[in-house]
Amino acid sequence: MSILPFPSFLDDVKEKGFKKAVFEGIDDSVERLTAGLNVQDLREAFRGENPSRRPNPRLTPHADGFWLHMRPSYFNRDVTGMYPSFRLGWLSTYFVFFETITGILLMLWYTPSPEIAYGDMLTILSNVPLGQLMRDMHRLGAEFMVAVVALHMMRTWITGSYKKPRQFTWFSGLLLLVLTGFLSFSGYLLPWDQLSLWAVTIGASMAEATPVVGDQVNLLLRGAPELGANGLLRFYLLHVLALPALLFVMTGVHYYKVIIHGHSLPPQRENIGEDSAKRVPLDRRVYFIPDVLTNEMMWLGAVTFIITVLCIWFYHAPLENHADPQVTPLGTTAPWYFLWIQGALKLGDKFVWGVAFPSIALGALALLPYLDVTPSRRYAHRRFMLTLAMLLVSATTILSYMGLAKFAVQTSAETEIVHELTFEPAHSKVGTGRTIPFDQMIVGAYTTAQLHGRDDMSAAELIAEINAETQANGQFAQMLDELKNQHVGANQLPLRFRTIPEDEAPKLMQVMEEFEHHLAQEPIELPDVWGALVITDNQAGLKRLDWVVSWDSVLIEGGEVMMDDAGEPIIVFASEQVPMLDDAGEPMMDDAGEPMMQEMPMLDEAGNPIPERRIFSDHLFIHQESAYFD
Amino acid sequence: MNLLVIRSIDARILMGITMFVGIMILVGWVAINEEARMQAFVRQHTGRSIERGAELYASLCSECHGEDGYGAGDRAPGLNNPHLFGFDPVGEQTVAITTANRTLVRLTEDTEKLLAEFTDTENPPGADRQDEILAQLDKLEAQIAEQQALIETAVAERVATLETLDTAVDNGLFPLWDSVVDIETTGDDEVEIFFNSNGTRLAQVGWAGDLHGYVVTTLIHGRPGSARVYPNSTGMAAWSQTAGGPLRQDQIEDLAAYIINWDKGANWTSEDFLAVAQYGKPLADGSLPSEPPPPPAGDNVAGILARWAEMEIVGSPATGELLYDAEFGCTDCHRNGASAPDTVGTVARIRTERLTMPQFTSYTIEEYIVESITRPGDFVVDGYSSGLMPANFGARMTDQQLADIVSYLLTQE
Repeated sequence: MSILPFPSFLDDVKEKGFKKAVFEGIDDSVERLTAGLNVQDLREAFRGENPSRRPNPRLTPHADGFWLHMRPSYFNRDVTGMYPSFRLGWLSTYFVFFETITGILLMLWYTPSPEIAYGDMLTILSNVPLGQLMRDMHRLGAEFMVAVVALHMMRTWITGSYKKPRQFTWFSGLLLLVLTGFLSFSGYLLPWDQLSLWAVTIGASMAEATPVVGDQVNLLLRGAPELGANGLLRFYLLHVLALPALLFVMTGVHYYKVIIHGHSLPPQRENIGEDSAKRVPLDRRVYFIPDVLTNEMMWLGAVTFIITVLCIWFYHAPLENHADPQVTPLGTTAPWYFLWIQGALKLGDKFVWGVAFPSIALGALALLPYLDVTPSRRYAHRRFMLTLAMLLVSATTILSYMGLAKFAVQTSAETEIVHELTFEPAHSKVGTGRTIPFDQMIVGAYTTAQLHGRDDMSAAELIAEINAETQANGQFAQMLDELKNQHVGANQLPLRFRTIPEDEAPKLMQVMEEFEHHLAQEPIELPDVWGALVITDNQAGLKRLDWVVSWDSVLIEGGEVMMDDAGEPIIVFASEQVPMLDDAGEPMMDDAGEPMMQEMPMLDEAGNPIPERRIFSDHLFIHQESAYFD
Repeated sequence: MNLLVIRSIDARILMGITMFVGIMILVGWVAINEEARMQAFVRQHTGRSIERGAELYASLCSECHGEDGYGAGDRAPGLNNPHLFGFDPVGEQTVAITTANRTLVRLTEDTEKLLAEFTDTENPPGADRQDEILAQLDKLEAQIAEQQALIETAVAERVATLETLDTAVDNGLFPLWDSVVDIETTGDDEVEIFFNSNGTRLAQVGWAGDLHGYVVTTLIHGRPGSARVYPNSTGMAAWSQTAGGPLRQDQIEDLAAYIINWDKGANWTSEDFLAVAQYGKPLADGSLPSEPPPPPAGDNVAGILARWAEMEIVGSPATGELLYDAEFGCTDCHRNGASAPDTVGTVARIRTERLTMPQFTSYTIEEYIVESITRPGDFVVDGYSSGLMPANFGARMTDQQLADIVSYLLTQE
């Protein structure tokens, strides 16, 4: 009879003694939790011994348990190493879970609203312990995931694993690739900084080129003609709900297909036209428990460790200034994995290259297994398909290069050069002008003319000469006018150039040398050029840096410098309005009795025309705590 | 050799455990340093916020409030201004006088007590005690004289300081000064009370919140009435989008951070008052206040064209090209026709393709171009995205600049 009114553990204790009852209870619980393995089985498995029980208990978790029901109980040892899979499929799955976990942690601190989102980013960085690490990991993981999934596809192509019977596996994988791209892209918008807004604006504007429904698609995606509160909410929901749901389902489908057909063997390991993945000889079996399981746990640790190290020392997710629809940053590009479309867009028509071309390319990829029906997976027999694979890689690389801002988008040389020196931190880079340490920003005006290289003079003599010259020809005054226009205070304007204080400010010198170097690269567009850096005090702990470029104007048409017959750039000369004189030297009058004017080139004392001098400037404010130079 | 990368199960388990322990150590190490990192981020972010604020200030505010924050041309008050930051020019003296007065009260009480004891007829002090009291009274007398001297010095200093501020006071530093205070005759307590309610800007306007709130609120809602105070002012606009202006809240905060960064804290001096333009000092170089900048062209197409005719504004294609290429960066998009219509051929396309469309039949080419620049959303050429072209060019260009660009585009056959 039981001690309590129902059968209980106490009965066991009474019957078997305490120690035995406890051990058996634990054993029983472990066996239930693992769906088939008791303590002894686990001990044997992780010691690398053979199972002592028959039938093999290590197979029951696959048959009876949920968590392993889709994992095969054994693998062919030919597919358990690096080759032929390079573990890319496993890595893709890893990132699905990695991104989900880090993403959920970030969701706790995020509100999808244009008024709040950017502030939430700042909160994550300034007030959430480990917030920066989570954000870095999520972002880096996303970049890796896109790359890994794409590489996984290329590997499948190269080993011919898409061939019969795995056509549909290939297709589902392609869908996963597209989903991964969209997932990453939809997450791009969420920080609501300049980088997000403009990368997504460019990406989303491609949807608009779709014929007939383009406007509707665009409206659906953005929620309004322009990206705003609705667009952000939609991208957020896509990012955290719709796309992940699809991705999980498709991941299941894809893996199910992989298992149904077995992991494809290295091409040389099976006979031509034969698919022997499902028939694994006894001596080639590697069981999931314990070998593959320990292997995967090890990889799990190793990859996470590597990402942690990268995110602590080598990578920080970018966060630019608050999104501003009024300010288009120079050199805006789509995310790197969509650069190839942006590159293609530069080839011509928006619809053909922005919509039709990517769709056809993806369609062709989807059809690949149905078009290439040759039985052999051996490399030697697939020269055409391998060539095609390399062509695809090359074409994507070239198109991506073409998608970069520097390719075929012309900005005037002076804008480009000053931008190089001043741009805000973006893509882990920052304009070199911002890297001058605060205490090396010594107030004064400095010019690159000092660096033109006159060995026969000291720097001080050279600057004296430059000052005399630029004061005499009005170029210095022109610079002051420009600075005044840019709101430099009247009492802050410099009186003359100073020698660059090389000893106290080596970094300042270095930046000026770089400035000079860039200017010297453009002898055609910027003839007789000098650059200047004017540093002024603005507030306590805040300096203002004005970057000025002054040069002789050349004739530019359609973004190209016009050349004369001798191959020299055509200089634009300054002109002025002078009264027209008749033969007697008297001013001519028009009907209204006003003197008639004509435009005449201005001449210097020697009677030579004076080139029109142009000036360009941009400026930065630098606060001593901003730490661009760390 | 194509097998599990590490063959021995022991080695795999060891490797895995090492990795997981490694992750825990690394994350733990990061966690320990988080407090310092977050503080550093806040400092860095504040610095960058001030930088962005400086940029906004230079382009939007400096015209009226002055590049250096001292105000310009009787258009707006100086913000780099001790009064705004609550610096009391005579605070030190007021504190000295108050302290000395309290000491005086105590000393006087002590004196009275001793005198009462000395003159007590019922219980007269002994001869020794009398000598003692007399000695103490001498001491107290000296101390009282000392305190009175202190007060005198402080009052004199306060008068001197206020005299140096005469110009500032005359120019309205303390608007109620004349009606309340006569520095020669008004009692110290009253002067103290006056400075408590007039000494700082916030006290003057009866602002109960802090300076940051005051600055942010002013930026958001503007100060329409300031036209009555500053002869050349048209009233400060409401800058925040919430009040119909152009700036987002984060930009308002950046501007406030910049303005508040002028605070010198304990280092303000009464000379700083005199640097502020509105307190009567002529501008630093003795020059007259500059003219306000020409107003922007706006987006009323008919109005713009009428103004050009009336004011005889004629564009220069050469200047227009510079503005088009560099200043406003139009060629960044308007080239090749990839993201926006090509610049080359503008006129030809307008003449043959656009003006033949029913809605443009009454347009001139010039009118079409002006509308396209100032109101880009009204019509978008087929095949290009709406909303890509900024809609604020009308607000950023003067009439002359717009005319220059139009005349340049008219050369693009």
